[in-house]
Amino acid sequence: MFRYIVKRLLSLIPVLFGVSIIVFFLVRLIPGSALEMYMGTQVEATPEQMIELQRIFGEDKPVPVLYVEWLGRILQGDFGYSLRTGRPVLPDILSRLPLSLELTILSLALALLIGIPQGILSSLKRNPFSDVINRVIGLLGLSLPQFWLASLMVLAFANFSGWIPMGNYIKFSVDPIRNLRMLLLPSLAIGIGLAAVIMRYTRNSMLEVLQMDYIRTAKAKGLTKRVVILRHALKNAILPVITVAGFNTGYLLGGAIVIEEVFALPGMGRLALYAIYQRDYPVIQAIVLMIATIFVLVNLVTDLIYAMVDPRIRLDDGGR
Amino acid sequence: MKRPSIMLIALLAVTLFGAAGAFAAPAAQAVLTIGVDQEAVGIDPHIVTAFSSMRRIDLMYNRLVRLDDNFVVVPDLAESWEVPNNVTYIFHLRKGVKFHNGRELTADDVQYSLQRILDPKTASPGRSYVSLITSIDVVDRYTVKLNLSAPLASLLDGLTSNNCSIVAKEAVEANGNLQKTDAGTGPFMLQDWIPDNSMTLVKNASYFEKGAPYLDKVIFRVIPEQASLLAGVKSGDIDLATISDGATIRQASKDSKVVVMSKPGLNMRIFSFNTTKKPFDDVRVRQALAMTLNRSEILGIAEFGMGKPTGPVPVAATQWAVPVAKLPYASPDIAKAKKLLAEAGYPKGFSFKITCSATYEGGLAVAQVAQEELKKIGVTAELEVVEWGVYIDKWVKRDFETMIELRGGSGEPDRFLYRTFYSTGGVNNFLFKDAEVDKYLDLGRTQTVLADRKASYNKLQTLLTEKAPAIFLYCPNENQVMGKQVSGFKLVGNGSLFYVTFTKVKR
Amino acid sequence: MKSNSLTRNSIVMTGLAIIGVYIAIMVVSTFWLPFDPISMDTDHILEAPSLATGHLFGTDEFGRDILSRIMKGSTISLIISVAATLLGTLVGTFMGVWAGYLGGRWDNVLMRIADVLFSFPSLLLAIFVMAILGEKTFNVVIAIGIVYIPQFARISRGAILTIKSSEFIKAAKSNGASSGFILRKHLLPNILVPLIVQVSLSLSVAILLESSLSFLGLGVQPPAPSWGNMLSGARKVMVLAPWTAIYPGIAIVLLVLGFNLLGDGLRDILDPRLRNVR
Repeated sequence: MFRYIVKRLLSLIPVLFGVSIIVFFLVRLIPGSALEMYMGTQVEATPEQMIELQRIFGEDKPVPVLYVEWLGRILQGDFGYSLRTGRPVLPDILSRLPLSLELTILSLALALLIGIPQGILSSLKRNPFSDVINRVIGLLGLSLPQFWLASLMVLAFANFSGWIPMGNYIKFSVDPIRNLRMLLLPSLAIGIGLAAVIMRYTRNSMLEVLQMDYIRTAKAKGLTKRVVILRHALKNAILPVITVAGFNTGYLLGGAIVIEEVFALPGMGRLALYAIYQRDYPVIQAIVLMIATIFVLVNLVTDLIYAMVDPRIRLDDGGR
Repeated sequence: MKRPSIMLIALLAVTLFGAAGAFAAPAAQAVLTIGVDQEAVGIDPHIVTAFSSMRRIDLMYNRLVRLDDNFVVVPDLAESWEVPNNVTYIFHLRKGVKFHNGRELTADDVQYSLQRILDPKTASPGRSYVSLITSIDVVDRYTVKLNLSAPLASLLDGLTSNNCSIVAKEAVEANGNLQKTDAGTGPFMLQDWIPDNSMTLVKNASYFEKGAPYLDKVIFRVIPEQASLLAGVKSGDIDLATISDGATIRQASKDSKVVVMSKPGLNMRIFSFNTTKKPFDDVRVRQALAMTLNRSEILGIAEFGMGKPTGPVPVAATQWAVPVAKLPYASPDIAKAKKLLAEAGYPKGFSFKITCSATYEGGLAVAQVAQEELKKIGVTAELEVVEWGVYIDKWVKRDFETMIELRGGSGEPDRFLYRTFYSTGGVNNFLFKDAEVDKYLDLGRTQTVLADRKASYNKLQTLLTEKAPAIFLYCPNENQVMGKQVSGFKLVGNGSLFYVTFTKVKR
Repeated sequence: MKSNSLTRNSIVMTGLAIIGVYIAIMVVSTFWLPFDPISMDTDHILEAPSLATGHLFGTDEFGRDILSRIMKGSTISLIISVAATLLGTLVGTFMGVWAGYLGGRWDNVLMRIADVLFSFPSLLLAIFVMAILGEKTFNVVIAIGIVYIPQFARISRGAILTIKSSEFIKAAKSNGASSGFILRKHLLPNILVPLIVQVSLSLSVAILLESSLSFLGLGVQPPAPSWGNMLSGARKVMVLAPWTAIYPGIAIVLLVLGFNLLGDGLRDILDPRLRNVR
């Protein structure tokens, strides 16, 4: 097991290396540059100013040279300065991490809170009609475009202060109640989709477990249905669900872009989006690398849990 | 004992009364919350170009002179000035103005600031406004003299720009740049900044304007959605909001809970031609298009009517702008347009591309209406809608046939027109070269008698409309929406928030 | 047992029915639409839905008929979704099958590439690709296709691996069967099941991705109607005219639901582990 973990960790390095190269070079393929954005259509510069500006914006050397320099600095922990604001990159990104993490956790929590019970319920129903309704409702959650849901929420709640951040994001450490209230709607918008996935997995796991022999034995023994469910079936059905949740967590972290945009939340997704719009190379490079790292680490952890739970997988390494 | 007890009581009463005064709760803070749709990129006045940054700098810094709400140049840090000849300017500074760090402002600071702006290493956008300055002399503690290499009629107007703010030298030297640091003398000081969230400014108690500012605190909140901004004002979460979208303003005007201030700004919407690309190298073709586009219709759809048709000088600059009705092509003439096209060799029309972007400045709505209108003369426009960064890239590389643009005009004609339409102008992306236009631009810049200048610019406006390097469409309104609790605010056409200095909030 | 397969079938059928309706709309829209979806009608801006004017879903901020634009948009959404999924499936499956079958070095390299792609959140990757390629409709297909490659690679590789070491294959090999024969006869049919399910789910996600991209201004560009860019334009006028935001959204939801029902129902039917559920 230990060797497996080490092997996986080592294999992360080439992946992250690949990510850094791709981001660095590809980002400069995007037409336009931070320098151009800065000058826009209103600013004129003398030739000497242009030379200076090119130096400030990092456009005075060939790209491979810039990459090596950047890599060297990264390994020392220096992520450079934003081309847009001149502020150091790393502290800015890290300052947004708590919000993105909180949003991820809340969305996950809501998804589990909604999805698991619904999954259990729909696995117990013998009535095909309500089964269908249940499944459709579950899938509906997966079918709603997040940005549409978010826009409608903003429309509906705009007149009730405190439910929509309105550029007034209050940190959890400052005021937990207000913080939770204003993150409820965004987390719901994200979580509904995930809830559908969790519902499906819960249902399938429950179905699988419910028909296993030892459950039938327990039932035969006369234990009440509720005890059977809660104690045996649920215990075994939950673990796969947790791993599915884990797999989707990485997506939540950087994928909440549209939600953050519509609700005006200062998270990592929005920073990444604006950095791309503004061609803020140092920020794009740092944030993509960071999101990729978190994503990959979370996947690794989830994989490990999955492997521990399901011995079949470990044997043939098919699920990795 | 009767007498002393009354005395005792009286004494007690007085003491209590006095004590009550001392322990009285401090008066509630007067806080103004401003909603904006973009975060400030940085706040170094000599470096930033974005409007969002300018709005914060409006409150933290002063310049030598400023523009009032009628675009007249009035004193700011300089209480008076003389112009002994057209290459020399002498400014007399106010005494007792304090930087936010406590030190008094002197002529040395003016010299330092202007030198920083002129230094190529700063790469300041404000340099072009003052580029003709050769030296800055400190005459005495409160007097500074500027020497120019050639006459520059727009110098004073250029000095009103935020890019020419006066900063404290020690702050620059301590921090390298002022992107996160406050080094100003303005009515408010930076207290706290949470990027993409809020910026808090507090009152500068030693501001040189007696009694002002009336507010204790100003908070900027970044809310990207126009509808959310309006909702915020309605619910009282924010007091003042800068809203640019016509539909939202229209909605706000119908709402009795909010006050809408709206007036034509200095920004100008234009339909630009790349005059080196066929068929736009032929002035007749450009004129034909100019005769077809219907300003009122475009204004009605793209901005919901919130704006005013304009010529080459922004219509709000009433001192200089020739009324649109008096300029050529004031209203569409389809028949004549078709005739011109036929003369130029395109009787059946032609097709071309309009480059635009979905952002506000990129004018996608304008492009769509223009596309529709040009069908009337048989001209087929294909929209090339690109992302904002790509739009800028195409602009810089002159890689377009036509483009919808939003240009920042000026109240003083030389500042905007010269750089835009002179054959070697810095932002002349039309690649337009015309000797007659150059002649009048040079005249207007160097003439000193007002009547002469007016004559030159009148002629220039007609010329530019006829030669049509761009079609001048309209000036969109500057809008501010506020709750009824806000008083004392005045709208300035260039979007400046200067009048927050004199604003009060009643709760 | 009967009731359950009825349930499963009804879900699949409902999904197919919904998809069928959209395909029908797409076909009809190629030769008839109530109004011109692109040209403006400046006298009828932001009109509420009404039978009298013929604008059953109202008009947008340029006076264009929303119903016509939704119908036209169905073509764009369906085509993009199918093309992108096809791209992802073909490339991803190709990668995954070879990686799984050949093993060793090839496996490592190919899956590393898939991993790198997989470590980006889907929307972010798509945004990135669109930024590089430029916002043409065709590029949306490429962007979403690229997002799908790692998933299909993993699924096909996983399926190949489970079969590869089975007795059946070893027997076939020892009988002298060629790689190509083994692949075609034994391996491919085996990955078909998870692939089919993934394809139908990918079709639904593709529509969501495309509309998210268009919403952000990076997908299909106006004046061409995409449900996503219709919702983007509606953002500002939503308060004045809610129908501009409601109908395109519903259009998205129903089609995505259709594909989801199909995929979920198929998974139920085809998943061997659930076959014996009463």
